[in-house]
Amino acid sequence: MLTLGLDIGSTSCKAVVLRDGCKILAETVIPLGTGTVGARQAFDGALAEAGIGFDAIGRTCVTGYGRFTFKEADEQKSELSCHAKGMHFVYPDARTIIDIGGQDVKVLSLGKNGALANFVMNDKCAAGTGRFLDVMARVLNVKVEELGDLDAQAQEVVSISSTCTVFAESEVISKLSSNVRIPDLTAGIHASVAKRVAGLVFRAGLVEKVAMSGGVALNKGVVRALKKELKTDILVHPDCQLTGALGAALYAFDDLPGGKKPA
Amino acid sequence: MAEPEVTAQPVKKPKRPLPKSRLMVNEQTTGVYAAAYEAKKRGEPVGWSTAIFPQEICETFDIPVLYPENNAASVSAKHMGEQFISHAEGAMRYPINICSYARLNIGMADVIGNPEFQADPMLPRPDFLLIVNNSCTQLMKWYEALARMFDIPLFFIDCLFNYYEEEPAPHRIKYLRSQIENYIKNMEKFLGRKFDWDRFLEVQKISQRNRELFNEIVALNERKPAPMSGFDLFNYMAPLVICRGKASTTAILEQLKKEVLEHIANNTSTFPAEEKYRVHWEGIACWPNLGFTLKTLKNYNVNAVMNGYVTAWDIAYEPGDLDGMAKAYQTSSTNSLSTPTIMGKRIDSIKHFGCDGMLCHVNRSCKLMTFHIHVGREMVEEQCGVPCANFDGDQSDTRVFNEAQYETRVQGLVEIMEENKKKQKQEV
Repeated sequence: MLTLGLDIGSTSCKAVVLRDGCKILAETVIPLGTGTVGARQAFDGALAEAGIGFDAIGRTCVTGYGRFTFKEADEQKSELSCHAKGMHFVYPDARTIIDIGGQDVKVLSLGKNGALANFVMNDKCAAGTGRFLDVMARVLNVKVEELGDLDAQAQEVVSISSTCTVFAESEVISKLSSNVRIPDLTAGIHASVAKRVAGLVFRAGLVEKVAMSGGVALNKGVVRALKKELKTDILVHPDCQLTGALGAALYAFDDLPGGKKPA
Repeated sequence: MAEPEVTAQPVKKPKRPLPKSRLMVNEQTTGVYAAAYEAKKRGEPVGWSTAIFPQEICETFDIPVLYPENNAASVSAKHMGEQFISHAEGAMRYPINICSYARLNIGMADVIGNPEFQADPMLPRPDFLLIVNNSCTQLMKWYEALARMFDIPLFFIDCLFNYYEEEPAPHRIKYLRSQIENYIKNMEKFLGRKFDWDRFLEVQKISQRNRELFNEIVALNERKPAPMSGFDLFNYMAPLVICRGKASTTAILEQLKKEVLEHIANNTSTFPAEEKYRVHWEGIACWPNLGFTLKTLKNYNVNAVMNGYVTAWDIAYEPGDLDGMAKAYQTSSTNSLSTPTIMGKRIDSIKHFGCDGMLCHVNRSCKLMTFHIHVGREMVEEQCGVPCANFDGDQSDTRVFNEAQYETRVQGLVEIMEENKKKQKQEV
């Protein structure tokens, strides 16, 4: 039985088609967020990649900030539960999940069965989120995907003291005008994100193993800085960006009419 | 000639009629403001007071007193507060970091009589101010600003913070009692007439009756499913805040108790959905977003059956016992208690009301109430075994609350509570 999970995030949309709750048939990531054609493109793209029509899907679950807006959805779940479920699927031993999304940071505490036991999220501030990195990349005149490689070239970590995105932007501009090297500034930006996120992790209670989901996990610089702050290893799956959609597809499978079908 | 296209207009869903007790509350509030405006016309003094002031004294003197915090809540709930907050921040240059009740009220105070600013209810110009700092220390600066603005007397009662004392030490009670006695003398001078101690005893008795009635009503919500939407408690708080010593409050609360008992007898509830989850609401309501916060909870079948805020007016003492009254005012607001004491009360409440979780309003304006939450939620999680979720908001400033953020956190909390319920069922 096929199920589909769609994660309509604030800055990107992701979709996963799952067979029998265990095998990923197709996955798509569209860098457009809720309110755009991103959700439709991710949905259609996943179906096309799987080579099926929508009628082949047994159940669809939608998550993310745009979860209430997709008409084909059979159900919707919070991204908190979906990331927890998706991460438990790829890393069954993970107990602490860090998800840095476009406009929020979530730290999820998982029980042994993988169910969401508790969560802490950032307050009403974009510092430490994916949007913070987008803004910084624009100021540095680089692509956000390049930040990880730039970080690797750093000779020192330049301190960014402002946590506010707007003030940090001014601080970075000021340091640029003082001819501070871009890789060193990038490492400083990542350290700033890591400090902020680590605070939330400690608030939630760090229980190993720690894993990271969301697109920002692809940024090796952030992961490195976060490992340093947390003094622990962090698991990062190549499909980290898709774990919300994967969790949604798993929920759809669990909630199939007549109960879960055997894998 | 083509006939004009006729389109059917959707019929608006009729609003549920308000219960008699709510109509009585509205009538009481209207009456209190009308009496204050009438007194102004007669040239008699009208006071403004902080919310947990010993109201028994002005009630005994029979002079109208209005409550800016209550007014700010009411005006905010009606989405009329922004104009005053903007005025305070703009023309008056007050910073965004101070309490939004203060900004709203100071803004309103500055434009009384200016037809460009309208609100329901609009406060009349005060002739004296009453402040006790048992619920907040920022009140002192707020009321000092008002006193300077209007050039009117400020009667101040200083309460001490209760650190780790279960009971305030005798010298602390003496300190407060002497201030209450001194305040009565000063009011006698200000009004030019004697204080009636016999009437004072009667007002104390009425205040205690009202407090007891309110507690009885709140306790009825322990029933599963609860007979009331917990948000109703926010509405019925008003009579306790503004008319705690009046017989009209007794009538309202007796009517409300009757209605709640009827709900219990008929197995009905004012909560407009099936109650699948019960949560404890921590903090002041998000007044400008009262509708959305309640609707979202309803959509997820969550009844916030109890909250810690409404117990702040549970000022218990024996009528005639001035020491007891002093002690009660020293300790009634949880904002004057240490975190372990406050959270101990919340933990008891969560257990009594059989809550499945706690939803905490991280209120930008009320730092005192909010700072407990960050440590307190861990205490609740450990001692009650229920999950907690925080959301950002404000009691009056509309710029803080975010609907999507609130809903995600409510939904996350619900999903954990659902999982916990499944686990409990399996264990049984």
